[in-house]
This record gives sequence, C-alpha cells and structure tokens, in this order.
Amino acid sequence: MRHAVYLSATVAFAALSATTATACLIPEGFARLASPEAEIAYRWQPERLKVGQFFEAEVIACRGPGQGETREVILDAQMPAHGHGMNYRPTVTALGVDRFRITGLMLHMPGKWRLTFDLVHGNTRTRLVREVELRR
Amino acid sequence: MKATAAITGGLALVAAAAMGPAEISPRAAVTFSDEERAAILAHGPWPPSMTIDTSNRVSGRPDAIALGRRLFSDPRLSLDGTRACTTCHDPERHFADGRDRSVGLARTDRNAIALANLRLNRWFGWAGAADSLWAQSLRPIIDPKELGTSAELVQQRLTADTSMAAAYARIFGAGLAFEPADRALVNIAKALAAFQETITTGRTAFDQFRDALERDDREGMNRYPLEAQRGLKIFVGKGRCTACHFGPNFSNGEFDDVGVPFFIEPGRVDQGRYAGIAAVRASPFNLLGAFSDDPAGPASAQTRHVEQQHRNWGEFRVPSLRNVANTGPYMHNGSLATLEDVVRHYSEVDIERLHGDDGARLIQPLHLSAREAADLVSFLRTLSADPLVTK
Repeated sequence: MRHAVYLSATVAFAALSATTATACLIPEGFARLASPEAEIAYRWQPERLKVGQFFEAEVIACRGPGQGETREVILDAQMPAHGHGMNYRPTVTALGVDRFRITGLMLHMPGKWRLTFDLVHGNTRTRLVREVELRR
Repeated sequence: MKATAAITGGLALVAAAAMGPAEISPRAAVTFSDEERAAILAHGPWPPSMTIDTSNRVSGRPDAIALGRRLFSDPRLSLDGTRACTTCHDPERHFADGRDRSVGLARTDRNAIALANLRLNRWFGWAGAADSLWAQSLRPIIDPKELGTSAELVQQRLTADTSMAAAYARIFGAGLAFEPADRALVNIAKALAAFQETITTGRTAFDQFRDALERDDREGMNRYPLEAQRGLKIFVGKGRCTACHFGPNFSNGEFDDVGVPFFIEPGRVDQGRYAGIAAVRASPFNLLGAFSDDPAGPASAQTRHVEQQHRNWGEFRVPSLRNVANTGPYMHNGSLATLEDVVRHYSEVDIERLHGDDGARLIQPLHLSAREAADLVSFLRTLSADPLVTK
C-alpha cells in the first residue's frame, strides 16, 4: 500500500527481552518496545501510519520490580534529518492505571521519524525510542 | 517489481552517438529506481475521491452549490458593489488573478491562491488562518482590504433580493431576514464553500505517465516528454521537492519557510503561519466553535492540536502544484513571476534568509545546471489542466 509506514528494525532499544526490567503481557494487536530500564506495549490507530494523517497511540506501561505507577506518557516525534518535530501538540488521556491514549499525532513529511516515549514515574523519566520510516 | 523501470526514448541511441563521453544525451533514456518509482506513484491516482465537508451541512448539496455559484460573482458582497470573489479568483484566470499581490478595495499583502481541488486542503490561506473552506470564504467578505463589507450589510442586501432570500430559506430552513447576522454570514460562506468544492482540475500529462508507469506500459510512458521525465527525476530525487509537495495534490497541506522574504515593506512583516495559528485558534468561526456543523468530528483534530511554535514565523502554506503553470505569479507575495524564477530560487536559495533551523537543513541550494532547471520547469508544466466546474 502506498505511503505506508515501515517500522524500522534498526532501533537499538527495540526487541530486547533478556535484559528487560519487566515482563509485560502484550495484548493482541499491540507491539512491544523495551529497554533495560522500561517496557511498553503500544498500538497505533489507524494501524498503518501515513504521511499527513492524524493517528492515535495507545500505550501500556509495564511496571518493573518495585516500580510505581506510570504517571504519564509523553509521546513526541522528530525528523532528525530536517531538525524539526511535529506541527501538532498531542493530548494524553489516562485510560486506567499505566494505560494511556495519545491523540493529535501527525507526521507531516515522508522520511525517517524518531518517536520518543517518555515514561514519567514520580520525578523520573525513562525514554524509549522507536524509529519509523514513512515512505513517499 | 523490477529493480528499475527504464523508460526509453526511441532515438536515444542515435543521439548518444553524437555526444562526447562526459555529456549525457538530451535524448538518453530516463531510468527510475524503485524508490523513485514509488515516489512517482504516490502522486496519484488522479482524480482522488472527494468527500463532503462534515463541518458544512450543505457541502455537496446541489441547491447550495447553485446558490454559492451565484454569490461567487455577486458584487453585493463588497462594500461599494464593485468587487466580488471573482475579482481575485477569476474563472477566466484559473480562479486566480495573475497579480503578484491581489487588489480588493485596497492592495493586499498576499497573492491570490488559485482555487481548485479545495477538499484536499487541511488549512486555507497562505497562513492557514482558516481551518475550513467556509471559514476561509467568510474572511474576505469582511476584510477591509478585500470586499470590506459587514455581516449586517450583506444580510440586508441579500434579503432584499426575493430570489436569493428564497433560495437561502430553502437551503438553510430559516428566513435570511430573521437570522442573527453572523449566522447568516456563515451560511452564505457555507454556500460559497459548497460551490468552490466543485472546482477541480482534470487529468494531466503527468497523470497519464504516472498511470502508464504503474501498469508498466512502455508505450504510454514514452508519450511523456523526455525533458519532463528528467525533471520528474529531479523532483523526486536531488530536488527533495516531495518532502513538502507530496501526494496526489502535490502538497502535504502544511507550512514551511523556503527563504522567501517576509518583509511586506520596511518595518512591516508578514508573520505567516505564526500569526495564522493565533488567528485560527481565536476565531469564533473555527472548527471547534458553535458555527461548525461537526465540532467533535475528526476534521476538528487539526484545530484542537495545532500548536504555535517559534519556527512558524515566516512559514507559508505549501501550495498544490496542480495547474501550477497557469497560476503565476508564485509564492505568498507573488514575488516570483515565472516557473523559471521559482526553480532558480530553489537552485540558488539563500539559506541565511531561513528563519528556523529546521528549514536550513531541509532547504539547501540545489545548484541545478541550466538544463536541469529547464527540465524541472518542463516537468512542472505537465501538471496543468483546465479547472472543471460543476455546471
């Protein structure tokens, strides 16, 4: 399909398991993103991202041992090659404990985007990164 | 899919034989990589399906379109009765006016954008100060430099026209004379929008080539001029044009600073998108307001989430390139008279003029040769077709 997004497998943080701090049950239809410090399950709506089309994200933050509830998830996106971010400010809504919906996301140019998920626990933030290549 | 799609010109070999080894024959075949091919196919198919505007309850209604067509050329929408929408959006000039900066009741600061394929827009005006076509249609009526009238005066004048008032009542279910003036003005703008939505552009030589490429029809591809093919290769390749001029409408619908000066005159600056965002968020006529017929609908997401950022200063809308050869002068202030001037601008752009750091990385001088520049212009000329208007 044209304009479809291809999730890059080049992100160092992705697809780690043995060193992950938490074990999270990934619901059907969700993808997993993890680092030694944090783990989330997420999905896009619509599932396939297109240039210039608004989309939403649903994020489940997994708890590490002794870790408290995730207060907020801040999702942002940058185009490293161009040095700019999104033109729109996303809104985060808590759907329940450790579960969030982020609306108002739009990637307005084709190319490589760097999506950052900042998990806020108390006074600390943990960042997970996902790169996506939005094709023309 | 093949690794490359070679599009051969019939005389390529003959011409190449006469060239020196370092020169590329002007008749040499143009080949496109898989990535270039995908980028080209993303500019179609054309025409795309057009949906109605849910924020405008009369969008797509034939009676509203008919009323809007009448209003579009009606001078009673101007203060002194000498101007109409057609003054700056002349159907004989591809719904533009051919001027650098438009002249209504006074000279404006910007070029009149040609009206076509408007349902594909997310924002309207060079700064995106309107988030719907009906809100954009309302603005010039009351702008002192354009038509310069008022909601009350328009309501009074059109109420006195029995035929017009009857059409209004049939379409909107209320007597024009009894409506609050702002509501009457919005409804008039919604009828104007319903008409403008029907202005579309037809298939072009590029569309024929793009479709031939998709079905690997060599004969069809060979009908597309070689110089346009070379220009297209620049457009999707070293020109990086598709970063902004993306998709079937050749625009990503957003805004960018491309190094066009934003001083209107000494001491006066056109803030572009920076002011546009402030205006649309403050407008009582935006998609989140009481005049929208679908304030919670998906189209309102743009207005709910748009954020004014420092880099928006001096950004202007990425215009569609459909019909571009017929709609000069170019840029928000009409400062570039011809397509050759536009290509020269991007070839030699002064990045010191760019306001944001981001633009400095995306916009770089292309340093095109004379032939490359001519090829790019040839390609742009293949994007034109006369506007089609609902009769």
